[in-house]
Amino acid sequence: MQNPYIPIPVEVVKIVTEVDTKDIKTFRFAFLNKEDEAAFGYQPGQFAELSIFGKGESPIGIASSPTQPGYLEFTVQRAGVVTSALHEMEVGAVMGVRGPLGNSWPIDYLAGKNIVIVGGGFAFTTLRSLINYMIDEKNRSRFGKITVIYGARTPGLLIYKDELAAWAKRDDLALHVTVDKGDTDWKGREGFVPTVCKEVAPSSDNAVTVICGPPIMIRFTLPVFFELGFSKENIITSLEMRMKCGIGKCGRCNVGEKYVCKDGPVFSLAELDKLTKEY
Amino acid sequence: MEKRLIKKEALAGIVGELAGRMRVYAPMQVEDQVLFRVLAKGEKPLLDFANTRNAPKNFLFPRTEALMKFTRTEKGMVRKDPAGEEIQSGETLLFGVRPCDARSFALLDMLFDQDIYRDPYYIERRAKTTVVVLGCVRVPYTTCFCTSVDGAPLASDGADLFLTDLGDAYLAEFLTPKGEALLSAFGGAPAGEAEVKRKEALATQAAAEIRSRVPAHEVKPILDTRFEDPFWNTLHQKCLACGTCTYLCPTCHCFDIGDEVKGDEGVRIRNWDSCMFPLFTKETSGHNPRPSQKERWRQRVMHKFRYYVDNFQAIACVGCGRCVMACPVNLDIRKIVADIAKL
Repeated sequence: MQNPYIPIPVEVVKIVTEVDTKDIKTFRFAFLNKEDEAAFGYQPGQFAELSIFGKGESPIGIASSPTQPGYLEFTVQRAGVVTSALHEMEVGAVMGVRGPLGNSWPIDYLAGKNIVIVGGGFAFTTLRSLINYMIDEKNRSRFGKITVIYGARTPGLLIYKDELAAWAKRDDLALHVTVDKGDTDWKGREGFVPTVCKEVAPSSDNAVTVICGPPIMIRFTLPVFFELGFSKENIITSLEMRMKCGIGKCGRCNVGEKYVCKDGPVFSLAELDKLTKEY
Repeated sequence: MEKRLIKKEALAGIVGELAGRMRVYAPMQVEDQVLFRVLAKGEKPLLDFANTRNAPKNFLFPRTEALMKFTRTEKGMVRKDPAGEEIQSGETLLFGVRPCDARSFALLDMLFDQDIYRDPYYIERRAKTTVVVLGCVRVPYTTCFCTSVDGAPLASDGADLFLTDLGDAYLAEFLTPKGEALLSAFGGAPAGEAEVKRKEALATQAAAEIRSRVPAHEVKPILDTRFEDPFWNTLHQKCLACGTCTYLCPTCHCFDIGDEVKGDEGVRIRNWDSCMFPLFTKETSGHNPRPSQKERWRQRVMHKFRYYVDNFQAIACVGCGRCVMACPVNLDIRKIVADIAKL
């Protein structure tokens, strides 16, 4: 019997400090055993338990895309015991990954539609996975127009800066990066994400928006998309809850009868409407 | 199904003999409490008792359980060679389980033995455990309400071998292959229709003796629409958040996973946890989706009488009444459910 509690051993092969406050880093892991990589089939939007023996586990969204074989990436903010230990790690360290867990962005539902990605702050990790998945040359033709609206409080808090620069050059992806407040070097857009969404005004025609960010951003952005004509079925987001087992047993991440770890983390607004408001 | 009649005076001795061949847990008097204890060879279990203070769920889902071991290397802590790390369980006999508690095993199976994400620790123990149930021919407590939650004093759900005290002898029903494996140990004379009829009469009589009637099925549609309701504002107010109800509950199964390290060696363990505790859902950011005892009590009631029904078509309560008897502030789930039914 497969033991879902046993982490898969991985090695830290690359660490990128994403932000000027240095508390958000992207960790790249390579599987120690090649056969584990083949078994770790995942989809954008799924997460895994990052497992550091002696410290514990932390559920983190997968930031790499399955179209990028050979490694997994996770972008992690230093916050608690496990993530602090992770931030102390160096290339070459060995730890564990348990997953993939949860459902995913609904790729089959997104196929054939125009996709609007809205991200705020550091909640851009599984959205990055989805973007890289969709713009992969094998997949790009399956999706319509791709619009990405991404914002952070300051330029220094934008993550994936190199990738943002590369995406900006593409003609098959409309990228709108904004910061709440720029600095002297900032030549880009200033303004809150909801305002930028209003200005960009993506069409709701055959379109789905996938949105992740701090609750305050989501609260003010949703009305913009309702105004643009997006139905609740076509607004999709991802929830976070405290988790332990990740497989629907330990009993703490449920919202109503659904377990965020097993039945989520991805839900449409229409699905969330049917659940209790306890998250 | 094989049925035998076991002489009354022989039963305790048979179980004591079995204790020499496998690990046997049985009800024993321990100071002023009846608890499941491991039997020494030849030791006789208690046969005349109401029910054990603790539910026997810890034999399938221990209070504390090692999931895996790890050790320090130059590159960090790594899992220890899994050889020798088999899930700790041998052939085990649980003797003297009451029907409500046996039913809790059937309910826990639904969660731990799902189609995907099967829990190997629970499943391994369950497979190696034989459950011998002593039916309740006399209803143990006034707090018993098994008949309101799909159970009965002589129901055999979850039992491998079911024993009914007919007065002059025990009717032994060997219900599963694990139960039948005990045929030779239990011996006895063949039982027939007459004994089954006597058991049925006792079953009717015992069920009628259960006075607590709880509208457990009626509250599901009410709970479906009353997540937000003034009812929840006062229910929890005297709760001390001690968690006793969840620890004694035969169906509560929430757990925490944590690591312990001593020197260069460590172990990842899981411990029972409780939805009654503030930290249960508190996130690193400080956000807590269940910030007060109100939300925690609502979760406990909803989980048992709504969510478990949604997910497994079964109420996650067996009517044992332990939470009613042990609550230090007399919160009574029977009254709570009855009050919800009136909403």
